[in-house]
Amino acid sequence: MITTKPIEAAHGNVNTIKAASINSTKGKPTFKAKLGKYKPVLWLIPFIVFYYLFQIAPMVWVLVNSFLYEGEWTLENYSEIIDSAFILQGFSNSLWIAFWSSLVGLALAAILVSSLRHLDSKIRDAIVAFTNMSSNFAGVPLAFAFIIILGTNGAVTLLLRQWGILGDFDLYSSSGLLVLYIYFQIPLGALLLYPAFDALKKDAYEASMLLGANSRQYWMKIGLPILSPALLGTFIILFANAIGAYASVYALTSGNYNMVTIRIASLVSGDLFLEPNLAAAISALLMLLLAIITAVNQWLISRSYHA
Amino acid sequence: MSYVKVSQLAKSFGDVNVFQDINFEIEKGEFITLLGPSGCGKSTLLRCIAGLNQVDNGELWVDGENITDVSPQQREIGMVFQSYALFPNMTVEDNVAFGLKMKGISKSEARTEVKKMIDLVELDGKEKFYPSELSGGQRQRVALARALVVKPRILLLDEPLSALDAKIRKSLRQQILNIQRELNLTTVFVTHDQEEAMLLSDRIFLMDQGSIVQQGKPEEIYTKPVNEFVASFMGHYNLIEADTANQWFNLASQEKVAIRPESIYIREAGRQYGEHISAPMPATIVSHQLLGNVIRYNVKVEENELTVDLLNRSSERLMAKGSSLELMFNLNEIQPVRA
Amino acid sequence: MHNSNLTLHKTIVYGISGLLFIPIFATLLYSFSSSWGATILPDGFSLKWYSQLLTDPRFLDAFGRSLFICIASLLLAMVLVLPMIFVIFYYYPALDKVMNILILLPFAVPPVVSSVGLLQLYADSSIQLVGTPWILIGTYFTIALPFMYRAISNSFTTINLRDLVDAAHLLGASTTKAYLLIILPNLKKGLLASAFLSFSFLLGEFVFANILVGTRYETLQIYLYNMRQTSGHFTSALVMTYFAFIFVCTWLATRFSRGNQ
Repeated sequence: MITTKPIEAAHGNVNTIKAASINSTKGKPTFKAKLGKYKPVLWLIPFIVFYYLFQIAPMVWVLVNSFLYEGEWTLENYSEIIDSAFILQGFSNSLWIAFWSSLVGLALAAILVSSLRHLDSKIRDAIVAFTNMSSNFAGVPLAFAFIIILGTNGAVTLLLRQWGILGDFDLYSSSGLLVLYIYFQIPLGALLLYPAFDALKKDAYEASMLLGANSRQYWMKIGLPILSPALLGTFIILFANAIGAYASVYALTSGNYNMVTIRIASLVSGDLFLEPNLAAAISALLMLLLAIITAVNQWLISRSYHA
Repeated sequence: MSYVKVSQLAKSFGDVNVFQDINFEIEKGEFITLLGPSGCGKSTLLRCIAGLNQVDNGELWVDGENITDVSPQQREIGMVFQSYALFPNMTVEDNVAFGLKMKGISKSEARTEVKKMIDLVELDGKEKFYPSELSGGQRQRVALARALVVKPRILLLDEPLSALDAKIRKSLRQQILNIQRELNLTTVFVTHDQEEAMLLSDRIFLMDQGSIVQQGKPEEIYTKPVNEFVASFMGHYNLIEADTANQWFNLASQEKVAIRPESIYIREAGRQYGEHISAPMPATIVSHQLLGNVIRYNVKVEENELTVDLLNRSSERLMAKGSSLELMFNLNEIQPVRA
Repeated sequence: MHNSNLTLHKTIVYGISGLLFIPIFATLLYSFSSSWGATILPDGFSLKWYSQLLTDPRFLDAFGRSLFICIASLLLAMVLVLPMIFVIFYYYPALDKVMNILILLPFAVPPVVSSVGLLQLYADSSIQLVGTPWILIGTYFTIALPFMYRAISNSFTTINLRDLVDAAHLLGASTTKAYLLIILPNLKKGLLASAFLSFSFLLGEFVFANILVGTRYETLQIYLYNMRQTSGHFTSALVMTYFAFIFVCTWLATRFSRGNQ
């Protein structure tokens, strides 16, 4: 019959909807205000025009023209690729080198970064600055540097040959290219992984030690699962970087090694046999390949641990 | 006529009504607080007064001029933001001078004004500092000086103290009040902290769900809440159902009544009280909390649990859980409140 | 931490860094040696390759062209990106998500692929583009875009954009003035850091330059490639000069990005 209750003071603990009171620029719905509302859009137009001309339009051209052969809609270009052992070899060479250089580059970068975290900050900063810089040492200058040291008469070649441990290494073959690719993948991988390793807190390591885990168990059960999204994400960037690379292999072999980017370029800018639509089809397949790999990678990331 | 007049102001974002039918008047030099919980529309109302948001309906008059459609640049209204909003690329001096520069006032003339303001907020010596080199309280004082240097017709303060720690809050609160009195500034202050509102304001406008539910002097609002919301927001009021209240206090109330914890007495043996005190009622202690200078008891009377405050004096010995006692109510302090 | 562990970590770090350093160091050594035949160590040291390089007018021209293209592309990128990014953050913050996808495209589409389309699209345009620096400036804008957008949007998230603009409005400034006097100066560090970073990236760009322009407008990278048949010492001096330049740019970039925090 009787109910009374003391009521809590409301101040200080009310965290309800404040959104409505903060953000809005909407004005009165008068004509002038409506016109004024769209004026800022004008500032976006120059950007959109340039982005369209130099990024979107070429991509669209490639996609559309990959289906055009002598002015007709067809899959002719694609069937030509499938029939050409030469182009397919370019794809398989590119995939092979992209996969292994990314894997080895990623592993070395991960080892470098995890060890780097144990050194004191001065050395760490210096090494980070150095990797940062050497990530710019790619393309033509890198190929030349490799010719100088690992070419037929390169200093390192001679040194290794003297020690008798070189075997049949040839810089201008697939194994030579692989070394070159790994070289430019390591600094890029390290730069991408460095922030991710911050997620590994020292206290998690100490806690696992106290709970009886050894170092290997810590890495298998805690370290790698925490890092796996970053490792997968970095792998895909390295892979895309390697499969799209053109300058280093072109400079090293003058375009004589069969890779997919070399094929594309030679079909549009070579001296003879220009076939831009076939180049477009190869390009489209290359983009499709990248898209599939990214999708698989995203799926793997979504299944792994989330920070 | 009042210095500031607001009539039938309304604002919504899409389907969400932020506030509606806001009417009030402010005298020159008055310190007004818009008080209310988060999301009650007080900050948006302040931004509409500043002209940063447009209103959907209603009019805003300052000093006999209708400023409803005047741009924020032309309104001559100063504002201090919760986030300080100091320009990080400018020194203290340049921040304060910015408004004068926009008005096209010459550098030499501006310099003396700026110096005066920096002295007023007691930041002399910090002129060449950048905001990142200052403490929170110092930053907020720069923001205050920057808003004041252009001699605004109204000063708006949007929760200016909430990002500061307790000690700085207290001193800055006093400083704001002193400056406001000294310059006879018409001020609108927004806060969700009722203690701050009580201490600073000439009048408080208490807002709930986009409406001003009660306006008046702090002590009026504190002692005479008009509805349950005000009673709960302004203090630790006990709410008692009309039936119970009528039976206990011999009233004929249609509405619930509210009574503050300090208006209930715990009776000690043999002590006599005045006529305005109700007859003693038997009660039991449920629990207690020590709140510094106050001991807050939860007590049970019949089926009702009430909150009772006693001053924490050594003469009042702490009563244990389950002890029996008697309660008396100050009949003058009983407020009927609407739901 | 155990001492043996620390030694292990040091060995790993110095080992891998050392491997990364060998080609750079060898090129440096090569560029300073008078001749280095089929031996492990050079015969003697000299500065003649550098003096030969720095007095070669063709090198200086190529370097000048590269500087022109890179600076022009960066200016274009700034002119396009700065107003765009303010409009997005101030008026349409929801578009930031769209932009974050758009800026991935220059990474996701290999330059070789883009150049196929560019070459065909603009080969017969009424204004001559292919074979001129202008097509490179347009393309390099897309390369610089991700760096700039990331850096500047980071700067935007560290300032309280809406409150700053509101405060400026109340003090009598127009939106344009607020942008120029208050927002822009706060973007300076992020802008400079991203500019130097993209600069060193653009200076090393070869694919677009080779396919779209080639020898018709010889940039540094094209010059470097064309010099492949000359003395290895000369190309080493060239590579090292280029690398020294990159070194300065990355150093400036990290300096500015550190000051930004």
